[in-house]
Amino acid sequence: MKISILAAAAALMTAACSSAQAANFEFWYGNTGSVEKAILAQCDAFNASQSANHVTCVGQGSYEVSMQKAIAAYRSNKHPVLIQFFDAGTLDLLLSDAVVPVQDVLPDVDWNSYIKGARSYYETSGGKLYSQPYNASTLLFYVNKTELEKAGVTEMPKTWEDIIESARKLKASGHECPYVTNGEPWSMFEQFSARHGLPIASQHNGYDGLNAEYVFNTTFFAKHLQNLIDWRKEGLVKIASDTKAGNYTAAFNSGECAMMENSSGSYTDSSKAFAGKYELSVSLTPMYKGYERHNTFVGGASIYIMKGHDQSEIDGAKAFLDFLRKPEQQMFMTASTGYVPVTNDVLDAIAKSPDAGTTKYATAAVGIESMNEPGTPDTRGIRLGFYVQFRSIFMEETQKAFAGTQTMQVALDHAKKRGDELLRRFEQTYKTAKLP
Amino acid sequence: MTSESSLFSHRWLPALLAAPLLLLILIFFYAPIVQAFYWSFFLERPFGGGSEFVGWDNFRRVLSDPEFWDAGWRTVIFMVFASSLAVALPLILAVAADRKIRLSLTARNVLVWPKGVAGASIGVVFAFIFNPFVGILAPINHFFPGAWAPGLDGTDAFITLIVAHVWGGIPFNFVILLAGLQSIPRTMFQAAAMDGAGPWRRIFDVQLPLIMPQLFLTLVLEFTESVTSAFALIDTITKGGPGGSTNLLVYKIYTDGFSGYDLSGASTQTAILMVFVVILTAAQFLLLGGSVNYER
Repeated sequence: MKISILAAAAALMTAACSSAQAANFEFWYGNTGSVEKAILAQCDAFNASQSANHVTCVGQGSYEVSMQKAIAAYRSNKHPVLIQFFDAGTLDLLLSDAVVPVQDVLPDVDWNSYIKGARSYYETSGGKLYSQPYNASTLLFYVNKTELEKAGVTEMPKTWEDIIESARKLKASGHECPYVTNGEPWSMFEQFSARHGLPIASQHNGYDGLNAEYVFNTTFFAKHLQNLIDWRKEGLVKIASDTKAGNYTAAFNSGECAMMENSSGSYTDSSKAFAGKYELSVSLTPMYKGYERHNTFVGGASIYIMKGHDQSEIDGAKAFLDFLRKPEQQMFMTASTGYVPVTNDVLDAIAKSPDAGTTKYATAAVGIESMNEPGTPDTRGIRLGFYVQFRSIFMEETQKAFAGTQTMQVALDHAKKRGDELLRRFEQTYKTAKLP
Repeated sequence: MTSESSLFSHRWLPALLAAPLLLLILIFFYAPIVQAFYWSFFLERPFGGGSEFVGWDNFRRVLSDPEFWDAGWRTVIFMVFASSLAVALPLILAVAADRKIRLSLTARNVLVWPKGVAGASIGVVFAFIFNPFVGILAPINHFFPGAWAPGLDGTDAFITLIVAHVWGGIPFNFVILLAGLQSIPRTMFQAAAMDGAGPWRRIFDVQLPLIMPQLFLTLVLEFTESVTSAFALIDTITKGGPGGSTNLLVYKIYTDGFSGYDLSGASTQTAILMVFVVILTAAQFLLLGGSVNYER
């Protein structure tokens, strides 16, 4: 009895709200700090720009927590219309049956204007875009130009061979930390494999089927990791826990370390930390000599439309996605965070803007260039099950190698073996599902 | 004469009064456990739908996984070291505070305060205290570079966790043990002293036997708590690293389930861990409980 009264009251409330406002809908995101500020500013700008729809943007603290809550919310049917998910959760979402492909909901958008590296990560094997890339990052090479010049390096390094040469000079001049890495798979492993055109797993990193197996332990990547170990012994490379800060971005930003590879999303923080002290230079990530450069993967996150909402909410969500796609909104995001624009037309808009050429948009051109390099079927993205869990396995095994308790090859072989077990279990879990 | 049952005139009233709490326990304690056991027999998809019954397959997989056993052993080692230290240290402090030595009154107050600090906060503070470059052990690294490196060396990271856990466990156990010590009649003490028993003799022959119930209580609580409460510390200090060396079961379950979306595997491990804790607690009551004398 009570329940039905409550239900009636709720229905009345909803009716009252919907007549006052066409659609209220929620958007969940996982970022904090300067990115969160930028997202909230965009939400406010959208709400101010029109009166037909109202978006409520809810921060969840991190990508992982956001995904956890989405899973719980979806299972209890309380999920938002729009939700931002990170790159590593892509396959879980494709097979979840909880989201609708964004290209089906918005068929008239020119989806081909999206930069290639970002598109291919979030599209089906048939080429249909599943989610709208939003805060896209990619890996860039950060250099403390001041420190390098002090050590006598005038030409900024472009290849790994250059890096090591510069690192030796830095070390000789008394610099304690020439190059630093966080050892995380996204930067140290995935982006390296992509741009060198190396497969991570068979079946084109899983795009052709759930029966893929990891192969990274047999590619040139294994050699690169062994190099990192050797260079670390030589005192040229440090990992995050070797640094005073215990955090590689902080170690670079404070001037402790002179070179690193990091997400374009951390550009603004680095540039703020450097202001007045050092000169910062960002460029394409280093290649080994003799390897042809391919596209890097997109990082950051994209926005999915979740199933089970009524048409008015979907319409509101569509308007919001259209709004975020606008060049000026993308430029705003790039300028305030360092994330890379996701559509190609934004570069023109930046070139025409009064701030063109300033450090505000320093990551835009180089980030887009990096993701638009020629690709192969192995550089489309990663379509491997339980991939988040695999990333932590990868970290665990390689950390042991960096600490010296096992060799790097053994670490990679272990990671492959444990990773393959995850893939087989994922395959069994989704036995009846079909990869879109 | 009032019989006890006449306090409640209606036979359903007591049940009714207890019902809200029982209901809460049912919803928030037993229901999730039932759910965990249920999921441990299925291959569960994160977003639901299409779940498949696999019988004992999940248990077979988990029990044949060397990572699970490694995490299990780490849990046992942590439990034994951390909980015995977390009882022994407060015991020493309680004996000292009970002696009315100088400042013991102040100490009694100061030692209780840490109870108010949440596990995660303890973690953040200890991560800083044991930082190899700026923490209290940094001077060691100055003379022997790399001697203390919790970011690289698993043993160092493990020690950090144990110290943080023991520190967090001091207040509660201290209060319980001190209360036990203070309830010992002074006359027994004085009699022992008159018989020529020195301070140590009095501790081992009078005080310890008489606070057995309190010791037993703190030990049982510590044993079960160390299995689960390490989570906040691991999450804030080590994240299970380096190289998985501090990945205790309770943290592994969390990361498998919520970061890795392996709900079935996490449920299976939860079920196994729960059975383990139940057996352990039962064993303590059966083996130690019998020798505890509650009479004074």
